[in-house]
Amino acid sequence: MLEGIEKISEVEWEVPVGYVPGMRVPGRFFLSEDLSETLEAGAVQQLANVATLPGVVRYSLAMPDIHSGYGFPIGGVAAFEEDTGVVSPGGVGYDINCGVRLITTPLTVADITNPRALIEELFRTVPTGVGAESTMRLSEADLDDLMADGVEWAIDHGLGMESDIVHCEEQGKMKQANPAAVSKKARQRGRPQAGTLGSGNHFLEVQAVDAVFDPEAAKAFGLATGQICCMVHCGSRGLGHQVCTDHLRVLESATRKYGIEIPDRQLACAPVHSPEGEAYFGAMAAAANYAWVNRQVITHQVRTVFARLFGIAYEEMPLVYDVAHNVAKMEEHAAYGKRRTLCVHRKGATRAFGPGLHDVPQVYRAVGQPVIIPGSMGSSSYVLHGTATAMERTFGSTCHGAGRVMSRTKAKHATPGRQVREQLLKQGIIVRATSDASIAEEAPDAYKESDKVVDVVRLAGLSLPVVRLHPVGVIKG
Amino acid sequence: MSFEELPHQADVRVRVRAEDCNALFAEAARAMFSIMYVTCDEGEIERSITVTSDDIPSLMIDFLSELLFVSEVDRVVFSSFDVSITGTSLTVTARGEPFAREKHQGGMEVKGVSYSGLTIFRDGEEFCSEILFDV
Repeated sequence: MLEGIEKISEVEWEVPVGYVPGMRVPGRFFLSEDLSETLEAGAVQQLANVATLPGVVRYSLAMPDIHSGYGFPIGGVAAFEEDTGVVSPGGVGYDINCGVRLITTPLTVADITNPRALIEELFRTVPTGVGAESTMRLSEADLDDLMADGVEWAIDHGLGMESDIVHCEEQGKMKQANPAAVSKKARQRGRPQAGTLGSGNHFLEVQAVDAVFDPEAAKAFGLATGQICCMVHCGSRGLGHQVCTDHLRVLESATRKYGIEIPDRQLACAPVHSPEGEAYFGAMAAAANYAWVNRQVITHQVRTVFARLFGIAYEEMPLVYDVAHNVAKMEEHAAYGKRRTLCVHRKGATRAFGPGLHDVPQVYRAVGQPVIIPGSMGSSSYVLHGTATAMERTFGSTCHGAGRVMSRTKAKHATPGRQVREQLLKQGIIVRATSDASIAEEAPDAYKESDKVVDVVRLAGLSLPVVRLHPVGVIKG
Repeated sequence: MSFEELPHQADVRVRVRAEDCNALFAEAARAMFSIMYVTCDEGEIERSITVTSDDIPSLMIDFLSELLFVSEVDRVVFSSFDVSITGTSLTVTARGEPFAREKHQGGMEVKGVSYSGLTIFRDGEEFCSEILFDV
């Protein structure tokens, strides 16, 4: 472990005040000894940098998928006082509301007699990769409505089922969305891209439930052994990227205007309730709603393919849940002995609200919010549930994925994409991508083992495993 | 090539070298398009863009962000850049070819150009920059 960091418990570590100048609170991160060699000094520095921001509450936090990002580390979580704190695009990222959702089917592994044909059909149907364009033709008014209403807009346009709405975090709509704060440039980028997967680590995966750890919770989530599911991982595409770029520029000036000292320009920020802070929050919320619609449109495409190929009803493919990875939210949490509204930033982290909370859909309320943790190609994904412990210790947050351990360049040189594809095929996993290079970059070896990451959040009690899913076929952008 | 990829666990960090500041910015743009589209050939499409910023690091971010925007919206893959910098203003004439799915789709989308770790400095006779792209 790095010098100057103190062990708090089996899987929890503290970065003390003073690790970098100006820290207002300590940093805390969750990692096992087993994964400690994956920890980058740069990521810890970023975690400590976040602790210097005004109004930061209790700790700057990071989950076990921690790695270097920009501004905040990936895996970073920080909450800020509503009155004295800040909002920062560095705590959200360029891909606003990049997230993941899980759709179930009534099929079992035995029903997928020709997995290659299924994957090819999904690849043909879902626009994928750099430069992919949507089949939807949105007017400017459509885009305004979509950004204001999120998943509701999609359902109103026949792109899903009413039940999808309640099975999304925030019911697929941040009500603070302000489309007027989204620039013309962002709109130009967003109009042709709604319903496209993108590239990089984004994917569409057909999976089978191969282990059930908590039968009661699995039943509540509608999951059973052998069941075929689909996982979708993508975000707000060019619209969200441009919102981040545009508002970073504005918030840079605001940082100076409000006399806020920051150790990294990517942490540009403004008071939560300042004109600049509110404009960013409104635009970010609009981009978050766009991202939910993006995943909803892809869900519709997936259901249409399954209905056509397997003769099952659209309604037989409910959404388990949709979680956001890159977002800031106004949430009520207990802090310093009382409940208050905080601006919680999660940058490559997942909300993991515990049982009994109003924000958890009624059907899951006794269990806690479903938490979806994707693995890498060839490694297992998990569904967990949120806990009261997460509410107490991490503002209701947990990890968002396996976390990279190898650079994309190194991964490309380590194993050619074709070889990765063939190795995965030998394990019964079909990979379809726009290029072999993108397969190489996302090779399983480039990531921490998802089992180990999930084990850390289990040991810390931040979320508890419900089921494990094994990949059948993967589509990469 | 006068740019190289540096190790970074999640995103893409490049080091760019050039004989002067104008060429440095042009090389940074070449690096970005190489990441996104892998193959970037000469073409007949031409765009002229002017960017003004508060300082030189911001100028680099704003310049690359603007090219990213134009490339995506106009569906153009740029390959060569004539850059002229005066103070903290920049004018670029960028040339390239139309985006073609079968030729250009294999790269990585650049989501943004980060201030984190951005450096622009002199190394002897050369101008250098290290830039982190969020992909």
